[in-house]
Amino acid sequence: MSSGFAGTILRVDLTNSRIERLPLDMSLAEKFGGGLGLSIRLAYERIKPGADALSPENPVVFGAGPLVGTSLPATSRIYTVTKLPAGGAIGWCGGGGMSFGCLFKHAGFDHLIIEGRAEQPVFLKIVDDAVEICDARSLWGKGIDDTSEELWKKFGRPGGIVAIGPSGENRCSFAMAFVDRFSTLGRGGFGAVMGSKNLKAVFVQGTRGITVADRKHYRTVSKKLFSTIREYPYLKEWQDLGLIKSLPAIPHETYRDIRKRRIACASCPIGDKDIIEISDGELAGFTTCSSSAVNLLTPLMYGFPDYREAIKLTAMLDDLGMDMFEFFGVMEFLKNLVEKGILDEDAIDAPVDIKSLSSMEAWARIISRREGLGNILAGGLPAMMEEFGAESEQYAPSVVRGMLPYVSPKGPLPWNLFGTMELGQLLDPRGPHVGAGGSPTYFARRPLEVFPRHLIRMGVPEEAIVRILPKQGNGEKGEALKVGRLLRYSHAWFTILGSLGVCARAQVNRFYNAELCAELYQTVTGIETSLDDLRRRADRAWTLLKMANIREGFSKEDDTPPDKWFQGPGFHNYITEEPVGPKEIMAMIEDYYDEEGWDSDTGIPGRERLKALDLADLA
Amino acid sequence: MGKYKIEVISESCTGCMLCQLACSELYTGTFSLEKARIKVLISEKECTISFSDECNNCGVCADYCLYGALIKMPGEVEK
Repeated sequence: MSSGFAGTILRVDLTNSRIERLPLDMSLAEKFGGGLGLSIRLAYERIKPGADALSPENPVVFGAGPLVGTSLPATSRIYTVTKLPAGGAIGWCGGGGMSFGCLFKHAGFDHLIIEGRAEQPVFLKIVDDAVEICDARSLWGKGIDDTSEELWKKFGRPGGIVAIGPSGENRCSFAMAFVDRFSTLGRGGFGAVMGSKNLKAVFVQGTRGITVADRKHYRTVSKKLFSTIREYPYLKEWQDLGLIKSLPAIPHETYRDIRKRRIACASCPIGDKDIIEISDGELAGFTTCSSSAVNLLTPLMYGFPDYREAIKLTAMLDDLGMDMFEFFGVMEFLKNLVEKGILDEDAIDAPVDIKSLSSMEAWARIISRREGLGNILAGGLPAMMEEFGAESEQYAPSVVRGMLPYVSPKGPLPWNLFGTMELGQLLDPRGPHVGAGGSPTYFARRPLEVFPRHLIRMGVPEEAIVRILPKQGNGEKGEALKVGRLLRYSHAWFTILGSLGVCARAQVNRFYNAELCAELYQTVTGIETSLDDLRRRADRAWTLLKMANIREGFSKEDDTPPDKWFQGPGFHNYITEEPVGPKEIMAMIEDYYDEEGWDSDTGIPGRERLKALDLADLA
Repeated sequence: MGKYKIEVISESCTGCMLCQLACSELYTGTFSLEKARIKVLISEKECTISFSDECNNCGVCADYCLYGALIKMPGEVEK
């Protein structure tokens, strides 16, 4: 067993029921960091260019970084890399979970590669070295809750579970997988990829454990890190309220009233998962769990009048394994088609009322089973546009790479200042997701004076700070903040954290900085690592993800903003709060390419850049 | 290493497993939930925290608990 790394890749060919253990190539692990970075690399060589996302030729690579399974705070993160059906992009999916990543590492594995397609429903059972492909016919058709409960009942706790619900089984293009019932994996249809493989779940128990290279130094650094956390003045508030603290969808008192228990991913100091029990009204006694109460309350943003009904609907979507943002995007489009007379409400499966629990529950069921019109809706917004013709497109929400960019002035998360998360919805190769776009612009109207210390924490090289904040330099005139240039380093920071296994949520990775990440990487793995090394590995992995998508035919055109962003109330400049138009966004995109060292006109990494990142042999 | 009474407030436990990770590493040099002398079993319905016979009440589990579910108190060992 190597330190930090478990030392083995588990490869499962579902078509031929073949299980293989491959030794982890440590030079490759070092080159790509591990976790997210190495998963990108392993997927790049295995995804056949042009293969359909739901075909047996599309493999899934799971990865847990070298810090996962240790006691370092918030190191529970697992990543998967595969081709996603919603837009055909090769992308990452990431999630925490109560124990999956930790137990997977403790079982002795760093990565899991799943290939092919099983003949009938199966689940994969991993108990240390004993790996079995098991019959899942009795689980097929069950929701995430029942599937997880049955596996725990049969094999005991603790046990890590990644499972899909009926929408994944039926290859809904916005199906997700759930980790340990609480965390989600995969906007863009990761659940459908598992479903296409007839893979209902992966169950893992691990007892072998993991070691660190330098125990003495580990204790010193770890002690310091935990002291910082204990002294953080808002720790108790975050532990008490979770994401409700920053997104108060319901009053704090109401939240405390319905919160049954806070749940943490392995080693997380914030514990922002929730077990909820509705305490009054017709739904009194209804219990559910979620990656955050804020997620459960999302239907309130779409006009649901009652928070209890919002919780009930989201719990159902979660159980079916369906992405709620995409579900509501599809529902809005459907409502518009009915209102404009393109569809006759009397001729469709159920009434469409976005504020009604019974209507939305009916449609969630119809879509997850692909009944009637649900067969089209399960294909997401692009499938609906194709079915209802060019005339319908004007009534659809904006679409980026086959998905709804859910942070927009007209979106469910009504951010109107254009920061890195907003731009990141265009430039993350996986399609619209805000997870990789974290930066100080996450908070509105943050004074620019505080940016440099945040940028240094994220590992931005000093010479780049003046390009991001031109007025911090020599009094140069022009924009005060270059969002495109900043986003390039958000992606690098995200890749560093993901490759180590540290959570991507800002509320918790705030305790880390890039220098500390390099120190911890070296302490845990024994691999000599400077901050420059860490940055270079992250750049290498992110550029390879870009190359994987260029290989699939994606281009600058796919990065351009949708016209609908500029119709009606639009985004505003983060600093000046002036409206942001397509020209400004295109300039940010070109800044981003330039800062990445890619061709600023095309977004294609040139030969020199590939050579500098030691990728020339691959791409 | 001191001996402490460990007060358990299972209602405050979030299942983060830091106690188990810290305990197993201290005594076996390996992070492993299985090898820890403290056992936390948490589900949507309940949470049980127990200690194995090997536990010597050193309190490392409580040192790592950030949620107030394990509190290290000087005094007579109670198991």
